[in-house]
Amino acid sequence: MAKLTLPAQELMFSGHSACPGCGAALAMRLLLKGLGPRTVVSVPACCWTVIATPYPTTALGVAMMDNPIEATGASISGIRAALDAMGEKDVTVVGFAGDGGTADIGIQALSGMLERRTNALYVMYDNEAYMNTGVQRSGETPLGAWTTTTPVEGHEHGKIEAKKDMMAIVLAHHPVYAATLNPSFPEDFERKVEKAKAMSGPRFFDIFAPCSTGWRFDAQKTIAIGRLATDTGVFPLYEVENGRYHVTRKVGSLKPVEEYLHAQGRFRHLTPANIAAVGAQVRDGWEKLLTFESESLVAPTPSAAPTAPPATRA
Amino acid sequence: MIEIRFHGRGGQGAVLASEMLSQAAFIDGKVPQSFPFFGVERRGAPVTAFFRVDDHLIQIRTSITQPDIVVVLDPGLLKVIPVADGLRPGGLMLVNSRRPPAEIEAPPGARRATVDASRIALAHGLGSKTMPVVNTVILGALARASGVVSLEAISAAIEKYAPAKPAQNRDAAIEGYGAVRTIDPTTSPVPPVPKVPHPLPPLPEGPIASRPTTSIHTSSWRTLTPVIHLAHCTKCNFCWKFCPDDAIGFDDQGFPVIKLDYCKGCGICAEECPPKTIEMISED
Repeated sequence: MAKLTLPAQELMFSGHSACPGCGAALAMRLLLKGLGPRTVVSVPACCWTVIATPYPTTALGVAMMDNPIEATGASISGIRAALDAMGEKDVTVVGFAGDGGTADIGIQALSGMLERRTNALYVMYDNEAYMNTGVQRSGETPLGAWTTTTPVEGHEHGKIEAKKDMMAIVLAHHPVYAATLNPSFPEDFERKVEKAKAMSGPRFFDIFAPCSTGWRFDAQKTIAIGRLATDTGVFPLYEVENGRYHVTRKVGSLKPVEEYLHAQGRFRHLTPANIAAVGAQVRDGWEKLLTFESESLVAPTPSAAPTAPPATRA
Repeated sequence: MIEIRFHGRGGQGAVLASEMLSQAAFIDGKVPQSFPFFGVERRGAPVTAFFRVDDHLIQIRTSITQPDIVVVLDPGLLKVIPVADGLRPGGLMLVNSRRPPAEIEAPPGARRATVDASRIALAHGLGSKTMPVVNTVILGALARASGVVSLEAISAAIEKYAPAKPAQNRDAAIEGYGAVRTIDPTTSPVPPVPKVPHPLPPLPEGPIASRPTTSIHTSSWRTLTPVIHLAHCTKCNFCWKFCPDDAIGFDDQGFPVIKLDYCKGCGICAEECPPKTIEMISED
């Protein structure tokens, strides 16, 4: 056998109906490799509900529940309670939702699940728009990006608002663990999955999921674009464990953000001034992250330390 | 009234082709109608679009089940989609293929036409090798093979409504017009047997789906196929770990093997292979 750097088990089956080169499909494959067969996945309306379920088949080698787009957080609280009542304590409960179903439509259920301290892992696979219905903008669509609802024509030049900072919103709920993951760095990805699996309490993953269809790039570039996202600082890799930040891929000097933007058709229209604005925003975010890390090494940031120690319950 | 059904893959421009054809018919002074089949949006997945044209207002609004003309934008679809279903006797089947029309399977009595639209599209800089944007070449070929619209009208419509590269798209259409090959039916027309759709069975109790998707062969989505030249393979497993379709396994000696039933031809393995020992080749 070849020497593998990732677990050999495959719990996502071939034959699913994701687009060729789908970042979200690779995200699910890598996630289940680390979580193993004792896992239940709850999927709302999103790309993955279509990818996984060409009737009457399933692409997952674990139990999967389909739920409404706004209800992922609530559904994993319910599944956890049911499994606890059945004495199935060792099952990992996962909510696996897109960015629209997490940051926009499902944000109340996510907030509720985190606030209830549900012992489950919530995953947002972030392809930065409503891709399943044909590329409409979401709260996670980045500044300047073209989508069908942020067109580039006449006076319109793509999205005029910035991407919603879901990690900050989640961290305000003091989860036991939150991390950003990128399938272009599978070993880092797998380490975080295994770490989260061993914990108990509310956990959150923000997984970067390049979408060749919606971002307008050739399918073979999925991994390269993911790598550029992290190395330009657009999508830094870090984890926050009980309020302590740790940047898991230190980039000495960030690559110019142009390298990332120019690789995708959705940013083709950006002017040098637009690109400078995106670059400034990215550098600012990266510097803030490094500050959070150095400060939380001394003591967890005040916002990340609840006055009463959080109890974990169903 | 003439009814046309377009079969393509997401990203090839089948829906846009139907819309630009409508604009051309309008320029010719006719009354057109164009709309896509609404399904999930997947690049590479089969898509369908519909077009009707008449001299007066068209009242019917339904999908087209008995087309006069079927247009197939990707030759790979012939193996996986019953594209000729319901084609009227004496109807026309136009296929993007490098093969001569006599080699295209069609219902008895159908006229056949082919055009090597992928090659022409790439020559005009339209789309990429994995996904050439063939819609305008096909429209040129369709104008010649069917006479539904004039070449002047289709050129004008393309120039005005192509979302990018209007001049290249127009020139590609003109080349498609010149390059299409047709043959008339050699056998006497046989009316097609209408297909009755089976009613869906009621949903079972308990798990809705328990069969794995491995029963579905997604090889039909592929336009290019990866070939691993093992002489330079270092067994680094990069191709395996980055495959979104779990379409790479290993042989007894630890060399990677492509699972051709499932590979969708995205090309990530070839792109990421450190010694660049995977090549993407065309199957047509």
